[in-house]
Amino acid sequence: MSENCCDLKVRQIVPNFKLDIFDPSKGDFGEISLETQKANKKWTILFFYPADFTFV
Amino acid sequence: MGSEVITVSTDTKFVHLAWQREEKMLENVKYPMGADPTGNLSRMFGVYDEQTGLALRGTFIISPEGKILNSEVNFYNMGRNIDELMRKFKANLHLSKHTDEGCPSKWKEEGDKTLKPSAKLVGRVYEALK
Repeated sequence: MSENCCDLKVRQIVPNFKLDIFDPSKGDFGEISLETQKANKKWTILFFYPADFTFV
Repeated sequence: MGSEVITVSTDTKFVHLAWQREEKMLENVKYPMGADPTGNLSRMFGVYDEQTGLALRGTFIISPEGKILNSEVNFYNMGRNIDELMRKFKANLHLSKHTDEGCPSKWKEEGDKTLKPSAKLVGRVYEALK
Protein backbone atom coordinates (compact mmCIF):
# COMPACT_ATOMS: atom_id res chain seq x y z
CA MET A 1 0.00 0.00 0.00
CA SER A 2 1.18 3.52 -0.71
CA GLU A 3 1.84 5.87 2.18
CA ASN A 4 -1.24 7.82 1.15
CA CYS A 5 -3.55 4.82 1.36
CA CYS A 6 -5.63 5.91 4.31
CA ASP A 7 -6.34 8.42 7.01
CA LEU A 8 -5.13 11.25 4.78
CA LYS A 9 -4.27 14.48 6.52
CA VAL A 10 -3.87 18.15 5.68
CA ARG A 11 -0.96 18.87 3.30
CA GLN A 12 -0.92 15.31 1.91
CA ILE A 13 -1.52 14.65 -1.78
CA VAL A 14 -4.69 12.68 -2.48
CA PRO A 15 -4.15 9.63 -4.70
CA ASN A 16 -6.37 9.55 -7.76
CA PHE A 17 -9.78 8.02 -7.15
CA LYS A 18 -12.95 7.32 -9.12
CA LEU A 19 -16.45 7.47 -7.79
CA ASP A 20 -19.83 6.43 -9.18
CA ILE A 21 -22.21 9.34 -8.87
CA PHE A 22 -25.83 10.29 -9.26
CA ASP A 23 -25.86 13.73 -10.87
CA PRO A 24 -29.09 15.57 -9.97
CA SER A 25 -28.38 18.34 -12.50
CA LYS A 26 -28.61 15.76 -15.31
CA GLY A 27 -30.92 13.31 -13.56
CA ASP A 28 -28.48 10.59 -14.55
CA PHE A 29 -25.70 8.37 -13.27
CA GLY A 30 -22.06 9.08 -14.06
CA GLU A 31 -18.52 8.89 -12.81
CA ILE A 32 -16.21 11.48 -11.33
CA SER A 33 -12.46 11.20 -10.86
CA LEU A 34 -9.90 13.33 -9.08
CA GLU A 35 -7.70 13.06 -12.14
CA THR A 36 -10.33 14.85 -14.25
CA GLN A 37 -10.82 17.48 -11.56
CA LYS A 38 -7.08 18.16 -11.56
CA ALA A 39 -6.91 18.22 -15.36
CA ASN A 40 -9.69 20.85 -15.33
CA LYS A 41 -7.84 22.85 -12.63
CA LYS A 42 -10.81 22.48 -10.31
CA TRP A 43 -10.97 22.58 -6.55
CA THR A 44 -12.74 19.61 -5.01
CA ILE A 45 -14.72 19.70 -1.81
CA LEU A 46 -15.59 16.25 -0.47
CA PHE A 47 -18.56 16.29 1.88
CA PHE A 48 -19.00 12.93 3.65
CA TYR A 49 -22.20 12.12 5.56
CA PRO A 50 -23.51 8.93 7.19
CA ALA A 51 -26.53 7.94 5.13
CA ASP A 52 -29.26 8.97 2.71
CA PHE A 53 -32.76 9.45 4.12
CA THR A 54 -31.36 10.92 7.34
CA PHE A 55 -30.90 14.58 8.28
CA VAL A 56 -27.85 16.30 6.81
CA MET B 1 -15.37 29.51 -9.18
CA GLY B 2 -13.67 26.43 -10.65
CA SER B 3 -14.78 24.14 -7.88
CA GLU B 4 -17.01 21.19 -7.32
CA VAL B 5 -18.71 19.97 -4.17
CA ILE B 6 -19.16 16.21 -4.14
CA THR B 7 -21.25 14.69 -1.38
CA VAL B 8 -20.29 11.14 -0.43
CA SER B 9 -21.95 8.41 1.61
CA THR B 10 -21.69 4.62 1.63
CA ASP B 11 -25.09 4.39 -0.09
CA THR B 12 -25.25 3.31 -3.75
CA LYS B 13 -25.99 5.71 -6.61
CA PHE B 14 -29.45 4.10 -6.87
CA VAL B 15 -30.31 5.11 -3.32
CA HIS B 16 -28.93 8.61 -3.99
CA LEU B 17 -31.32 8.90 -6.93
CA ALA B 18 -34.28 7.65 -4.88
CA TRP B 19 -33.50 9.98 -1.98
CA GLN B 20 -33.03 13.05 -4.18
CA ARG B 21 -36.29 12.29 -6.00
CA GLU B 22 -38.24 11.67 -2.81
CA GLU B 23 -36.99 14.32 -0.40
CA LYS B 24 -38.45 17.79 -1.07
CA MET B 25 -35.55 19.46 0.72
CA LEU B 26 -33.23 18.12 -1.99
CA GLU B 27 -35.25 19.16 -5.03
CA ASN B 28 -32.87 22.04 -5.88
CA VAL B 29 -29.70 20.05 -5.27
CA LYS B 30 -27.24 20.26 -8.17
CA TYR B 31 -24.02 18.77 -6.81
CA PRO B 32 -22.96 15.25 -7.76
CA MET B 33 -23.76 12.63 -5.12
CA GLY B 34 -20.88 10.16 -4.82
CA ALA B 35 -21.44 6.49 -3.98
CA ASP B 36 -18.89 4.71 -1.79
CA PRO B 37 -20.57 1.37 -0.95
CA THR B 38 -17.18 -0.32 -0.37
CA GLY B 39 -16.12 2.41 2.06
CA ASN B 40 -12.78 2.66 0.25
CA LEU B 41 -12.87 6.42 -0.25
CA SER B 42 -14.17 6.96 3.29
CA ARG B 43 -11.26 4.87 4.62
CA MET B 44 -8.80 6.87 2.52
CA PHE B 45 -9.94 10.00 4.34
CA GLY B 46 -10.15 8.33 7.75
CA VAL B 47 -13.91 8.86 8.18
CA TYR B 48 -15.09 5.25 7.81
CA ASP B 49 -16.72 3.80 10.93
CA GLU B 50 -16.01 0.04 10.86
CA GLN B 51 -18.69 -0.63 13.47
CA THR B 52 -21.54 0.82 11.43
CA GLY B 53 -20.28 0.81 7.84
CA LEU B 54 -21.10 4.53 7.66
CA ALA B 55 -19.02 7.63 7.06
CA LEU B 56 -18.60 10.32 9.71
CA ARG B 57 -19.40 13.93 8.77
CA GLY B 58 -16.05 14.79 7.21
CA THR B 59 -15.28 17.75 4.94
CA PHE B 60 -12.09 18.05 2.90
CA ILE B 61 -10.97 20.89 0.64
CA ILE B 62 -8.62 19.65 -2.08
CA SER B 63 -6.63 22.05 -4.27
CA PRO B 64 -6.43 21.71 -8.08
CA GLU B 65 -3.00 20.13 -7.44
CA GLY B 66 -4.64 17.40 -5.36
CA LYS B 67 -3.43 18.56 -1.96
CA ILE B 68 -5.65 18.56 1.15
CA LEU B 69 -5.73 22.07 2.61
CA ASN B 70 -8.55 21.74 5.16
CA SER B 71 -10.20 18.91 6.98
CA GLU B 72 -13.01 18.84 9.49
CA VAL B 73 -14.61 15.72 10.93
CA ASN B 74 -17.72 15.72 13.11
CA PHE B 75 -19.46 12.82 14.83
CA TYR B 76 -22.89 11.72 13.52
CA ASN B 77 -24.92 14.04 15.71
CA MET B 78 -23.18 17.33 14.85
CA GLY B 79 -24.08 19.29 11.71
CA ARG B 80 -21.64 21.46 9.79
CA ASN B 81 -21.78 25.20 9.20
CA ILE B 82 -21.85 25.85 5.45
CA ASP B 83 -20.92 29.53 5.91
CA GLU B 84 -17.71 28.43 7.61
CA LEU B 85 -17.00 25.94 4.83
CA MET B 86 -17.44 28.69 2.22
CA ARG B 87 -15.24 31.02 4.28
CA LYS B 88 -12.46 28.44 4.30
CA PHE B 89 -12.88 27.78 0.60
CA LYS B 90 -12.73 31.49 -0.31
CA ALA B 91 -9.72 31.95 1.96
CA ASN B 92 -7.95 29.07 0.19
CA LEU B 93 -8.67 30.65 -3.19
CA HIS B 94 -7.24 33.96 -1.97
CA LEU B 95 -4.16 32.34 -0.41
CA SER B 96 -3.45 30.32 -3.55
CA LYS B 97 -2.97 33.64 -5.38
CA HIS B 98 -1.29 35.50 -2.49
CA THR B 99 1.12 32.95 -1.10
CA ASP B 100 2.89 35.43 1.22
CA GLU B 101 -0.30 36.23 3.14
CA GLY B 102 -2.28 34.57 5.91
CA CYS B 103 -6.04 34.77 6.51
CA PRO B 104 -6.89 35.52 10.15
CA SER B 105 -9.88 33.93 11.86
CA LYS B 106 -12.16 36.91 11.21
CA TRP B 107 -11.39 36.96 7.46
CA LYS B 108 -14.69 36.49 5.63
CA GLU B 109 -14.30 37.54 2.03
CA GLU B 110 -12.10 39.15 -0.59
CA GLY B 111 -11.14 42.66 0.58
CA ASP B 112 -10.95 41.76 4.28
CA LYS B 113 -7.61 42.29 6.01
CA THR B 114 -4.96 39.62 5.70
CA LEU B 115 -1.64 39.33 7.50
CA LYS B 116 1.84 39.17 6.04
CA PRO B 117 4.08 37.29 8.47
CA SER B 118 7.29 39.27 9.07
CA ALA B 119 9.53 40.50 11.87
CA LYS B 120 7.46 43.72 11.97
CA LEU B 121 4.32 41.74 12.77
CA VAL B 122 5.71 39.97 15.83
CA GLY B 123 3.75 41.20 18.84
CA ARG B 124 1.84 43.66 16.62
CA VAL B 125 -1.03 41.53 15.26
CA TYR B 126 -3.61 43.64 17.12
CA GLU B 127 -2.40 46.84 15.44
CA ALA B 128 -2.15 45.14 12.03
CA LEU B 129 -5.77 44.05 12.17
CA LYS B 130 -7.13 47.43 13.34
